[in-house]
Amino acid sequence: MSQVQLDSLHWKVAGRAGEGIDVTGAIFGKLCLRHGMNVFSYREYPSLIRGGHNTHQVHASFSPVTCQQAHIDLLIALDEKSVSLHLEELDENSVVFCEAAQDGFDYKKYESSGATFYDFPMTNLSREETGHFMAENMVALGATAFVLGLDIEILKRVISDQFLDKGEHIVVGNHKAMNRGFNYAEEHFKKIRQPFAKKENTQVLVTGNQAVALGAISAGVQFFSGYPMTPTSDVMHFLAAQQQNFPLVVKHVEDEVAAINEAIGASYTGVRAMTASATGGYALMVEGTSLAGVMETPLVICVGQRPGPATGLPTWTCQSDLQFIIRAGHGEIPRVVLTPGNAQEHFDLTRYAFYLAEKYQVVAFVLSDKFALESYMCMTKPKEIYQNERYSFAPETLPEDNTYRRFEVTEEGYSPRSIPGQAHGLSVTNSYEHDEFGFATESAELTKIMNEKRERKMKGIAQEIPQPELFGATKTDVTFVSWGSTRVVLEEVVRQVKSRGEAFSANLIHIPCAWPFPKETFFKLAANSNHLVMVEANITGQMEDLIKQETGLHVHHHIRRYDGRPFYASDIIEETRKFLEQKK
Amino acid sequence: MDEKQHTFISKASLASPYFPTWCPGCGNFGVWTAFKNALTELQLPEEDVVIVYGVGCSGNMADFNRVYGFHALHGRAIANAVAIKMSNHRLKVIVVAGDGDTYGEGLNHFISACRGNHDITILVHDNQVYGLTTGQAAPTTEHGQKTKSTPTGAPEQAINPLGLGLTADATFLARGFSGDIRHLTQLIKAAIQHEGLSLVDMFQPCFTFNHHNTYAYFKERIYDLEKEGHNPTDKFSAWKKTHELNRLPIGIFYQEEGRVPMHKNFPQLDKGPLVNQSIAQINLSPILSKLS
Repeated sequence: MSQVQLDSLHWKVAGRAGEGIDVTGAIFGKLCLRHGMNVFSYREYPSLIRGGHNTHQVHASFSPVTCQQAHIDLLIALDEKSVSLHLEELDENSVVFCEAAQDGFDYKKYESSGATFYDFPMTNLSREETGHFMAENMVALGATAFVLGLDIEILKRVISDQFLDKGEHIVVGNHKAMNRGFNYAEEHFKKIRQPFAKKENTQVLVTGNQAVALGAISAGVQFFSGYPMTPTSDVMHFLAAQQQNFPLVVKHVEDEVAAINEAIGASYTGVRAMTASATGGYALMVEGTSLAGVMETPLVICVGQRPGPATGLPTWTCQSDLQFIIRAGHGEIPRVVLTPGNAQEHFDLTRYAFYLAEKYQVVAFVLSDKFALESYMCMTKPKEIYQNERYSFAPETLPEDNTYRRFEVTEEGYSPRSIPGQAHGLSVTNSYEHDEFGFATESAELTKIMNEKRERKMKGIAQEIPQPELFGATKTDVTFVSWGSTRVVLEEVVRQVKSRGEAFSANLIHIPCAWPFPKETFFKLAANSNHLVMVEANITGQMEDLIKQETGLHVHHHIRRYDGRPFYASDIIEETRKFLEQKK
Repeated sequence: MDEKQHTFISKASLASPYFPTWCPGCGNFGVWTAFKNALTELQLPEEDVVIVYGVGCSGNMADFNRVYGFHALHGRAIANAVAIKMSNHRLKVIVVAGDGDTYGEGLNHFISACRGNHDITILVHDNQVYGLTTGQAAPTTEHGQKTKSTPTGAPEQAINPLGLGLTADATFLARGFSGDIRHLTQLIKAAIQHEGLSLVDMFQPCFTFNHHNTYAYFKERIYDLEKEGHNPTDKFSAWKKTHELNRLPIGIFYQEEGRVPMHKNFPQLDKGPLVNQSIAQINLSPILSKLS
């Protein structure tokens, strides 16, 4: 084993949909987290409820961990496909738990991968302990704890916490299955590493969706309307489950058109409102985006990219909608498009989106993708208490002569907002172009003035957006550029380039906000670089074009992926080596 | 009631600087008068009413009333309105929209709002034609009627708005006529006072683009359900009435009292309207323990 592998754990569970793959992965992730490790879990599944091939892959380490890698130390294969589909990730250091005899295949044909195979009767042991096969994954987790030297007591507690809601008998059964797996492993398998040291855990393990939902709750989201669509459904699930603990109403509505229009209606009354969808679902919200823009009604929209066109690849990832989102909506409206990469950014930028939306009375997008929204990532445990100020509302007492003007033309572009129920604040909030009171107008002069008023908001917004950051050394051979989720992979690339002594040096510029584009900071950071390499998951180079448009800078090289799969650090390093070689 | 001095809606308080742009003789005038009568007679504080307008001739009323108005996108007024009610259930929320808006472009929202028994009132100006876009077939246009978009006659059967509302379990369904302002005023008042979803579908002649469904047409056919002893709690009788096409009933077809309106399904709203619940300090601790 190389040093890097020793430092990290790469674990994967694979099997048919419906076998509890995901909960098994979530438990293993938390087990590592509670040892004080950093954790990243990547999940793959087809758009089916039962029968498709599902995986949950965990990378854990006391060193920084930001993404999965194409390598497995321990594979739990709940069927033959789970071995045959992942042979390339196995080597002589890998261990595989499978049920070859029960599943009717000969694992010997896979031994050329170099991995050690254990034919492990997980379902039978589960049946013996619990009377049914369903706890096979608990048997596997018990054995995992032994083989990887993890603390079985911690595992026991994670399982208790996980199944508490399902009843004591489920917890007891799962503990029995777990113990049986651990004991069986002790008797039959070899430990592949010594027991782990433990550190105090200061982090939480969340998906991008959960981080978005948590950020929204911390910001006081009061109304969420949505329609289910992968990869953002979990934002709605999370908020719906929490709504009775907070001043929050979550409404699953009839379609995405209703979702955005309800969120706008709610926001109009003065509550903080949000909706979320995949880009395909968001496509139905485009008209509503324009409405919120002209009505100057604050709105936060989380958009999760997945490969299109049309229904595309429902459960896979991409970054092919940047240019769509920065332009979506007929007419011209000010907006903010935030592009978080890791869990912390999903939390922080969602929280911040509520501030920007409310202050400037605009639509603020949190643009992410399936890879980030459905992978588990670590972030610092949020504070318990969050304070929220409110912005850009009209004073409580308005002139009794009814001279208040909801759309007063101001230097900053936004105007103090009255809300229904407020005396002397009556006005029309209008989808038509309107005067300062909100009454419709077709006046050429007013149309010009109102467009300019709304567009002036962009000046203030540009002063307040999150700025690009540089990761790694200041002067390197190669500077990678990321936006959104490519950040997490490129951070790993930068670490590996350094730790593995590659022939080239590399750093990273990450762009956390695509619109308005943070021109000056990006220009300053990029102007120093020897070789700019744009890495993005689309075919047309959407951020590359945006950089050109906004800064005049041309990147030197790009790496693009548009097959629905996430980037892997090893592929990016390999490709970089190649083009540097050609350059010589 | 709180202590503050309310200004109650009156004819004067409703006056906006703009006078209607509707064609002379338009049924919208009758509806507008009945609507203003109803709002005035109900003695509602002017700041506690929100009117959400659709896009069409009827929606242009947004400029003619001085209220908290929300002039929506075509077809979407109901979606905005239900959320306005859920976010501040102290408000009276009224949708003013057309037949194309409600039964065509926004049909999904209409059905969902009925099913959810959202406590809003929907006033549909049903002139059986598209007026603002100059005379195309509407969902309520009679089968075979020639319009600009159906020069050989409308190929579909006309939609049955009240029948649709019944099958979607709406709790207040009525039909009025813009030519009978006194009757329409009472219907609108009853609809606004009903707790739950109320629909008033309003026949209103379009002088300019519909030469079939005229005042004379309606005067010949209309009769008052109440005068003929219709029992509005009888759903099956109401169902039959929605299918009468030779004589046209007006009045309350169906009313069910006591069904829980949408906003009362949320226990978190027992503490008061969402908009009045503070978000100044949010405590995440109930969630955090589950994430590590």
